[in-house]
Amino acid sequence: MIYLVAAYVFGVLILGGFLALSLSQLRELKARASTKK
Amino acid sequence: MTRYTRLAGLAVLLMLAAGALIFFYAPEDYLQKEPQRIFYLHVSAAIAAFACFAVVLGGSAVYLRTESARADRLARAAALVGVVLTTVTLVMGMLYAKPIWGTFWTWDARLTSTLVLWIIYAGYLLLRRLAEPGQQTARFAAVVGIFGFVDVPIVYFSVTWWRGHHPGPVIVSNALPPEMLFTFMVTMACTLFLAAVMVAIRYRIETLMDEAPSPASAHLVGAAAREPEPAR
Repeated sequence: MIYLVAAYVFGVLILGGFLALSLSQLRELKARASTKK
Repeated sequence: MTRYTRLAGLAVLLMLAAGALIFFYAPEDYLQKEPQRIFYLHVSAAIAAFACFAVVLGGSAVYLRTESARADRLARAAALVGVVLTTVTLVMGMLYAKPIWGTFWTWDARLTSTLVLWIIYAGYLLLRRLAEPGQQTARFAAVVGIFGFVDVPIVYFSVTWWRGHHPGPVIVSNALPPEMLFTFMVTMACTLFLAAVMVAIRYRIETLMDEAPSPASAHLVGAAAREPEPAR
């Protein structure tokens, strides 16, 4: 059971973390682009 | 809320639905018991990674032919998502192997070729990050992206070409009962959707980064501006 939980925790952390970081980077780049305009 | 945030939210909801099927609908495996539930996301992530590397192959081939900046951006976006999905495959596979094989890692053909795949595309990303951006780097990276894909069929067929610990293909050989097959198909569809959303977001990020002046060029412009006028 411990390996099942650990596997899904790692899976969710990697995928969720990557998705959250990408969205945050996109928001930052958009904000920077709009201030330059 | 932007279009990308909505798409990401939908992808997360679909993955939660797949998780509900994995934990509450799919029956427990008679031999492997609870750890067998790792299989659903482990294999789905591997298939989604293959799809991403196929996009890298397509984007790289189009770039070499037409020098289209869009194709190059798509290849860059898909390579990063492919590496993230391969990391998920490897980490989940190691945690699946421990209770079944008694070890986290063995130099089995499937495991080794998957690690090689991860190294090839991590190298592709390093090349993009460290080399001076330009046509020459993009061309070189496109060649790496095309030749790197050679490892994908090697990973897929490794279980039939060489004998090892890793089980053979269970989906195409109809080895799964209907409830497990349904759960796997739903998880795979949701993971592919999540991968497509991630590639779309990364593509938008690459576009914005290409449009923005790079810090390196800004530094050069600044240095040129500070350069004293040559004496006449």
